[in-house]
Amino acid sequence: MSRGSRSFVRWFILAAALCLLVSPLTGAGPALAAEKIIKIGTIFPLTGPVATAGQRCQAAVQTAVEIINNKHPEIKVPLANKEGLLDGYKIVLVHADSQGKPDVGKAEAERLLNQEKVWALIGAYNSSVSKPASFVAERMKRIFMCGSSSSAALTQRDMKYFFRLAPTDATESVDFVEVLKWLNKTKKAGIKTLGVIYENSEFGKHAAEEAKKAAAAGGFKVVADVPFSPGATNLNSEVQTLKGSNPDAVFGAVLGADYSLWVKTMKQAKWLPKIVINYCSGYQDPVIAKQLGPDAEYFMGSSGYSPQFASLMPAVAPVEKIFKSKTGGVPFDGNSIQEAVAMLVLAQAIEKARSLDPDKVAKTLMENTWDSPLSLGGKVKFVKGGQNVQAKSIITQLQNGQYKRIYPEKMADAKIVFPMKPWDKR
Amino acid sequence: METFAQVVLDGLLSGMVYALVAAGLCLIWGVMDVINFAHGEYLMIAMYVSYWLGFLANIDPVVSVIAAGVFIFIIGALTYLLIIRYTVGKPPLAALLATFGLAMFLKNLCLNRFSPNFLILSDTWLGGKTFQLGGLIFPAPQLAAAALALIVVGLVYLLINSTRFGWAVQATAMDREAAELMGIDTERIYILIFGIGGACVGIAGGIMPSYLAVHPEVGSLFGLIAFVCVAMGGFGSIPGAFLAGLLVGVAEALAGFYIAPVFKYIAVFGLYLAVVFLRPKGIFGW
Repeated sequence: MSRGSRSFVRWFILAAALCLLVSPLTGAGPALAAEKIIKIGTIFPLTGPVATAGQRCQAAVQTAVEIINNKHPEIKVPLANKEGLLDGYKIVLVHADSQGKPDVGKAEAERLLNQEKVWALIGAYNSSVSKPASFVAERMKRIFMCGSSSSAALTQRDMKYFFRLAPTDATESVDFVEVLKWLNKTKKAGIKTLGVIYENSEFGKHAAEEAKKAAAAGGFKVVADVPFSPGATNLNSEVQTLKGSNPDAVFGAVLGADYSLWVKTMKQAKWLPKIVINYCSGYQDPVIAKQLGPDAEYFMGSSGYSPQFASLMPAVAPVEKIFKSKTGGVPFDGNSIQEAVAMLVLAQAIEKARSLDPDKVAKTLMENTWDSPLSLGGKVKFVKGGQNVQAKSIITQLQNGQYKRIYPEKMADAKIVFPMKPWDKR
Repeated sequence: METFAQVVLDGLLSGMVYALVAAGLCLIWGVMDVINFAHGEYLMIAMYVSYWLGFLANIDPVVSVIAAGVFIFIIGALTYLLIIRYTVGKPPLAALLATFGLAMFLKNLCLNRFSPNFLILSDTWLGGKTFQLGGLIFPAPQLAAAALALIVVGLVYLLINSTRFGWAVQATAMDREAAELMGIDTERIYILIFGIGGACVGIAGGIMPSYLAVHPEVGSLFGLIAFVCVAMGGFGSIPGAFLAGLLVGVAEALAGFYIAPVFKYIAVFGLYLAVVFLRPKGIFGW
């Protein structure tokens, strides 16, 4: 026998021995099932340019599971006052990292459902990941709870097992245009033209489409359409394109580190429009806002939650305490809180259906209106396609490092700073 | 016309940084025939060094650029001593795979130690500052990075072409055995070349936290563009890498502004393909 063949035989024997050693462990599946657990898979971008947001979304689901699995009488959300579900079932989370990439997210969804045997999925923050990952779940007739992905296209697919909590970029676009109209009316703002800057992804492209539709309906002219590659080394030409067109208002769909680069590049180019309103993006990330300091000021965006909303949502405080223990003191933001709501609503549906049959739970999810003290609207109600029609958001503006509520006026706690203060006057 | 000049200026400033990153890669390839896949990760580590010195000791990136350069010099030298040395004389794929493994190791180490969160250094000396000359705006951080790039690439070029050490490096690159017979300590040359190559990218990374967020993925695209510059310029040619860096920066800026922002990297890689197709050895290759 040659040396190569001997080596192969040795490796083969070692591999076989390992298989034998490992095989008793694979029998752990049925044993765990007997322990009354419901495995839920989470898919978030835990690495990559939007990892900060992904990690917070994961921490939000963990927070919700801690509330569901244990008794928390001090917390005023459904299921907090009892332990577990269905007379003794506990939820166990299995986490996966999508890296913010659709192909990785899809592969992780397949792994979680086929190998980890999770009962349902929650995720995936990036709309571009939620889309293929939820296709996998739909094909396998498993529920996919989507907390924060905002692409309206996700709930236009008529899927049976897909449920999304966040407002869509379609509704957000309409809200943004309403803000422009409101400013033209009340402040004689003279806003006529619009620029759109967005990452070249499912989320960004769809947000831009909706922005253009809403702008046309509202009588605004889109003069700059600026997609960019996420994770770019610079955004010079993107900002020069905006500056060249000089729109009165800009809508942005710019995530994570790209958001800070965009803001800094606009400062270097000494250019600002009168107003910038952001979709779910780096704007809502309190860490970025802190790190950018005065440069982050006067930008605006929609949000389902920020610590400044506490007076509107008193139930959040004790839940946020648990969340902060997992994030090193960082509070909920508009995206992460939606993931906690997704987990809590799914748990309520399991409890109400008194069953672990995905069909029955999906039917129950669709047929009922759910109490949700962690949501701005206080309720969750899904319609055909899986969109939560009770999803609400408020337009905020960063003033002195705080997300101040600006629009609708009846929910405002501060006056808008308009136009944005120039870079050299901050 | 003013807009055109601004776009070209932005491109040149970016291009000089690409050139500095590429110079280190080019040096290592030219002397040792080793493609260092961990080059982008060196940049990322240098950015972390600069960030943490700024965050913990309040040292500005303009100063900590020296520490970042020295640190990556050491990392580069250690890379040779602990990894590359064992691949010399083996098939070229061995060194390539070893540096690929090192890249994965460094990226995951930083993910583990510093988390994937992106970090922004606030209140730097240059951050947000600009100079205006006529209608042109010169962003101070990028201008400083470009000036550093010009100085460092110039010094490396002089070192290789006008000093006894440089002649020894060239002799080693041409024929290692003959160089050894002439009394050149080629092992020492290799260690220093890996160190100097690392220092180039370390200096580039050291200044970058003045304007760019730091995170474990930040070096990937810079590393890729450095490969393009080295291949376009001609493997082993420092002037070639420098010129290619400038070409890449300007092509990226012009395509991004005049065609479409999403087109800028298409233009960069398209230009690379065109150069490689028309002149496979690169602009200055032989």
